[in-house]
Amino acid sequence: MARLRVLFENGDPERVIEFDPTKAPFQHDGRPGSILDVLLANGIHLEHACGGNCACTTCHVIVKQGFDKLSEAEENELDLLDKAPGLTPTSRLGCQSVVEDDAEITVLIPRFTINLK
Amino acid sequence: MQLDSSQLRVESPRHHDTLPVCLSTLNSQLSTFPVSASKPIPYEATIERIVELAPETRAFYLRLPPATNFTFVPGQFLSCLLPLGGGEVIRPYSLASDPEDPLLEICLNHVAGGPGSHYLFSLGVGASLRFTGPWGTFVLSQPPAAECIFIADGTGIAPIRPMLKRVLATESPHAVRLYYAAISSPHLLYRDELEAIARRHPRFAFTPVLDAPLAAVIEDRYMAADTDRSRHFYICGVGDIVPQLRDALRRAGYERRAVQYEKW
Repeated sequence: MARLRVLFENGDPERVIEFDPTKAPFQHDGRPGSILDVLLANGIHLEHACGGNCACTTCHVIVKQGFDKLSEAEENELDLLDKAPGLTPTSRLGCQSVVEDDAEITVLIPRFTINLK
Repeated sequence: MQLDSSQLRVESPRHHDTLPVCLSTLNSQLSTFPVSASKPIPYEATIERIVELAPETRAFYLRLPPATNFTFVPGQFLSCLLPLGGGEVIRPYSLASDPEDPLLEICLNHVAGGPGSHYLFSLGVGASLRFTGPWGTFVLSQPPAAECIFIADGTGIAPIRPMLKRVLATESPHAVRLYYAAISSPHLLYRDELEAIARRHPRFAFTPVLDAPLAAVIEDRYMAADTDRSRHFYICGVGDIVPQLRDALRRAGYERRAVQYEKW
């Protein structure tokens, strides 16, 4: 089992989700077992304009705990994160970061995403 | 909290005559909006025209209701919300039209076993399509200060098409080139238009790539042929060819940020 604690920069009450990563995928968007997969399956909205295909930055999250218990970021994700607002050393794209079994992860969902209009 | 649409969009000039005007406004168009409070409010467009661009490849022309405020930057995509499987499925499609065009245009292949494209190909003129957007950061953030190489594979030409036209609208001494690969000549979308643009713009060269591997063509011309590493690349396509080109160009010495790409 893994435990995902979700904090919201906009002040929404935190959520804690316990789940079995070996049972992924939990829905159809993002990598199976990714933060996006887990959040959406538990009724927590995280924007993912590209459908969870690693082609935008709208599912940007900041990992507060357990960064090394997530799958390693690939180059495509790193290139996109370059363009994410409020980038931090522990930023990840929710659609790409897969949670390991037995991991304890805390993520902060930023208040803002970015867009070019 | 229900978001007001004004929170989701930033006013920007509807008509851009030249790229410098467009690019000078880019910073002011860089907007942020709340993400975790609510979903963006979707637009609802009507399919006004469908064109068979190639076998199993269609362009859908979308009209928004009058007075709808929708602007985008060349290179961006729509996030289509498709009613599938009893729920709503997101499918992103790049905008192939120019921001000044009266209709929005997306183009896509009918993918075997792909529920999104299967659904869209089942729609006729007059049908509604819901989407959010525009999204994406695969755009020209500043006027190219060097030779600009666009590389498109298949329907990856969609975002490149308006980006290319924008670049050519600038006064610039730098060459602009397009390498466009497709599985066959009929699958070279917008070929007549691209050839006409090449005739009008001496600094633009259009090279269809049909009989040779795209990666080999780019490697021969931009990695093996010289040591100039000042060029800027914009690559779009489906599948492994995009990271393959990205990695090869960066390994060959091009700056990381000089190799921009969108992989679908």
